[in-house]
Amino acid sequence: MADSISSVCNLAILDKLSDGSIEEILESYNGFCAATDTLLNGAGDLSVGPQFVSHVHGLCKHGLESLLRDHFLGALERTFEKNGALKFWRHFEAYDDVSVEEEVFYNALEEISLEKQYQEKCLLILVHALQSYNHGSHDSNDYRVELFAKYQMSVSSVLMATLPRHFPEILHWYFKGRLEELSTIMGGDFPHDDDDDDDDKDDMDLDDKCKASYRSGQMEIDECYPQGRFLDNNKLVNNIGKVVRDLRSLGFTSMTEDAYASAIFLFLKAKVHDLAGDDYRISVLESIKGWIQAVPLQFLHALLAYLGDSVSYDSVSSGLKSPLASCPSTFYPGIDTPSEGLVRWQLRLEYFAYETLQDLRITKLFEIIVDYPDSSPAIEDLKQCLEYTGQHSKLVESFISALRYRLLTAGASTNDILHQYVSTIKALRTIDPAGVFLEAVGEPIRDYLRGRKDTIKCIVTMLTDGTGGNPNVSGNTGDSLLEELNRDEENQENAGLDDDFHTDDKQAWINASRWEPDPVEADPLKGSRNRRKVDILGMIVGIIGSKDQLVNEYRVMLAEKLLNKSDYDIDTEIRTLELLKIHFGESSMQKCEIMLNDLIDSKRTNGNIKATITQTSQAGSELGDNGVSMDVFDATIISSNFWPQIQDESLNVPGPVDQLLSDYSKRFNEIKTPRKLLWKKSLGTVKLELQFEDRAVQFVVAPVHAAIIMQFQDQTSWTSKNLAAAIGVPTDILNRRINFWISKGILAESIGADSEDHVFTLMEGMVDSGKNGGTNGSIEDLIVADEEGESSVASVEDQLRKEMTVYEKFILGMLTNFGSMALDRIHNTLKMFCIADPPYDKTLQQLQSFLTGLVSEEKLELRDGMYFLKK
Amino acid sequence: MKVNILQWHAVASWTWDAQDETCGICRMAFDGCCPDCKLPGDDCPLIWGACNHAFHLHCILKWVNSQTSQAHCPMCRREWQFKG
Repeated sequence: MADSISSVCNLAILDKLSDGSIEEILESYNGFCAATDTLLNGAGDLSVGPQFVSHVHGLCKHGLESLLRDHFLGALERTFEKNGALKFWRHFEAYDDVSVEEEVFYNALEEISLEKQYQEKCLLILVHALQSYNHGSHDSNDYRVELFAKYQMSVSSVLMATLPRHFPEILHWYFKGRLEELSTIMGGDFPHDDDDDDDDKDDMDLDDKCKASYRSGQMEIDECYPQGRFLDNNKLVNNIGKVVRDLRSLGFTSMTEDAYASAIFLFLKAKVHDLAGDDYRISVLESIKGWIQAVPLQFLHALLAYLGDSVSYDSVSSGLKSPLASCPSTFYPGIDTPSEGLVRWQLRLEYFAYETLQDLRITKLFEIIVDYPDSSPAIEDLKQCLEYTGQHSKLVESFISALRYRLLTAGASTNDILHQYVSTIKALRTIDPAGVFLEAVGEPIRDYLRGRKDTIKCIVTMLTDGTGGNPNVSGNTGDSLLEELNRDEENQENAGLDDDFHTDDKQAWINASRWEPDPVEADPLKGSRNRRKVDILGMIVGIIGSKDQLVNEYRVMLAEKLLNKSDYDIDTEIRTLELLKIHFGESSMQKCEIMLNDLIDSKRTNGNIKATITQTSQAGSELGDNGVSMDVFDATIISSNFWPQIQDESLNVPGPVDQLLSDYSKRFNEIKTPRKLLWKKSLGTVKLELQFEDRAVQFVVAPVHAAIIMQFQDQTSWTSKNLAAAIGVPTDILNRRINFWISKGILAESIGADSEDHVFTLMEGMVDSGKNGGTNGSIEDLIVADEEGESSVASVEDQLRKEMTVYEKFILGMLTNFGSMALDRIHNTLKMFCIADPPYDKTLQQLQSFLTGLVSEEKLELRDGMYFLKK
Repeated sequence: MKVNILQWHAVASWTWDAQDETCGICRMAFDGCCPDCKLPGDDCPLIWGACNHAFHLHCILKWVNSQTSQAHCPMCRREWQFKG
């Protein structure tokens, strides 16, 4: 005993102690211990109180106040551990998972709260005893505050020390269950509550009113949801409030808040996913906001209001509150104003909703952009979310990986990729007008498209007409780009107007004050905002690298189109060209303009020639029986220097036509002295009618087809060699071209005496019932012959190959001398030595593709980056 | 069988029937146009001198007008006269 005293007392005091006082101390102490035991385990029996108080006084007399306090608190702690905590946890032991029944939960809380209340009463007795001993000398509240704080600390530490691992989850589960219940009540779609219809109707009104007030941008939470609605009507919220309060008093403040916060967030997340879904045609942001107002905020509001009533507990628990706890003590709202805490909750919830929706949309951004014009509400939503959260980089990363995985693969057609690229530009332009993120997203697409051969062709097709070229492409694609050309034109006009009108200082000031810095994510290397104006055409051209290539490709396509025209109708081409001129500049479209001009000139000249030729040589050229008169003859006269290289094949046109050609050119020579015409006989179109005994069939074909079929008028069977000689084309070309007539069932092919020499026979009169099932009588078929995709204009690659063949000899000679050479060296050597006509002006890439061609022809070999002659 | 030609649309290219390929003054193709012109053909015709040398009309006019005294053909230095 002395030891224990010495631990708390000064040793000098120990010396002064007489035997009597020691006796007294021992007696009081034993009495105190016994009374404590009876008090704490007495199951509500406070009858030992006075006795207890006297012992306390006795000990205090000897300065043992701190000892008795420690002893009493220790006893409280042990008792609480035994009676409270263990019993409390035992309630949950039965449940392995987290689905604890509501009742069990309530009972457990009730029980432990009762125990705690009793212990607090006991503590109060001690406090009173100490107060009565020290009356006047101390501020009476000191004991109370100090002791209760210590008690609270020991309660929570006991509980925390024995905390089962799954208790937080149990809490979470509980709140989740209650929220769901609440949501069904609030949603009004499942009125299992006892409330009558009026109340439901009231719900709806409130919701509407709240949405309305949200739109007006104010936070009139309390106006919308009259205080006490839950307190009066809803047992549920009261229960929850009670649970929260009990848990707080047990020291689970932060855990509880975590639990209901995470329950609310999870619930919100589920709701967002539910509302957002996979439909991008409607905006969901407003309804999500409305829902936040209607359910979780109401819940919190009621909860906080409920807790706000029980101030006495707060003062106890506030000392224990973690600084990180989500609800600071200012949280308990006044009755009439929206509390700061509630506003804070609203902001948190909305941020979370924005973020969830944003993540959801970002993961689906690829699909959203695929159906872009329809999905613009989703894009708008995403824009708002991103403005709020600022997580643009997430969008960029996720979208780029989606692109790589889903779009930039060998299986995707270039047209689809381009279409998606255009949609991406349009969609991201909405989200981010400065184009910073677009730049990042567009980069991989551009890189990929540069590696595709048909990119330029597809772009040009899209620019000029959407439906041409590939029939699989939706007409939208091309239209959209042509639209873009138009739009661009309008913009430029507007810009021009702006410049004229607002060059004064005032406008300059307005412009200056409207300036905004680039977003932080902007890459400073990529220039300032002005240069980054989002311009779809510009970005498309950016894929190709230079507009020259694009213009070149356009020229080839235009040539193809113009040469196949049999009327001189070029209105659409003129329109497109004008638009392109606005965008690419007049000078780069010069050649195309000359081409169109040739067509216009041809029309005039053609009319002129035909008018004068019929006058002069009417009598001489009475070609009635041959059926070819000048009336049916037209010509397109081109300025060949300005057209792409044209593949001219030799062809002997039928005699009467040949006569027409020479008449025509003679007349041209007379009118336009000293200019002459050079016929490109294999080009053009012929519309002809095959007249059989029982029917007539019309075709639109190339001159070579016409020449072939006309040979069969006099002689119904030809060998391929003879026929080739007659029309003046090589046999292999003839064999290819004649397939057209064979496929139409006009001619039949059979193996002749010589296996190399096929025999073609006219199928007179027996075709109709066979191949063209329904063609009976004189049904006119109008078929365009250009089905084989044989173009009369050399493609850009063909031209390049042709130009490069000049250097083949140089390269082979070089390699004979040097053995092996790297690409660079070949390039440089050619540049050095091929300065004569034609000078070597190709790029390294062009040379490389040519050399690759030679390798595949097995003329060269490529090993470790060096080219060798193939032995 | 009989073939009736309903329409025959042929393609031809025109050419100045000059002996040379390019204009000796501007070094542009005869079938093209001089540097000042945009459209070839009628808008930028060729002209022959008495010496049978051909030039773009605009080119040789510029040359002739720049000469103070009698102009000479830039190719053969003979006195320049337009071929009748």
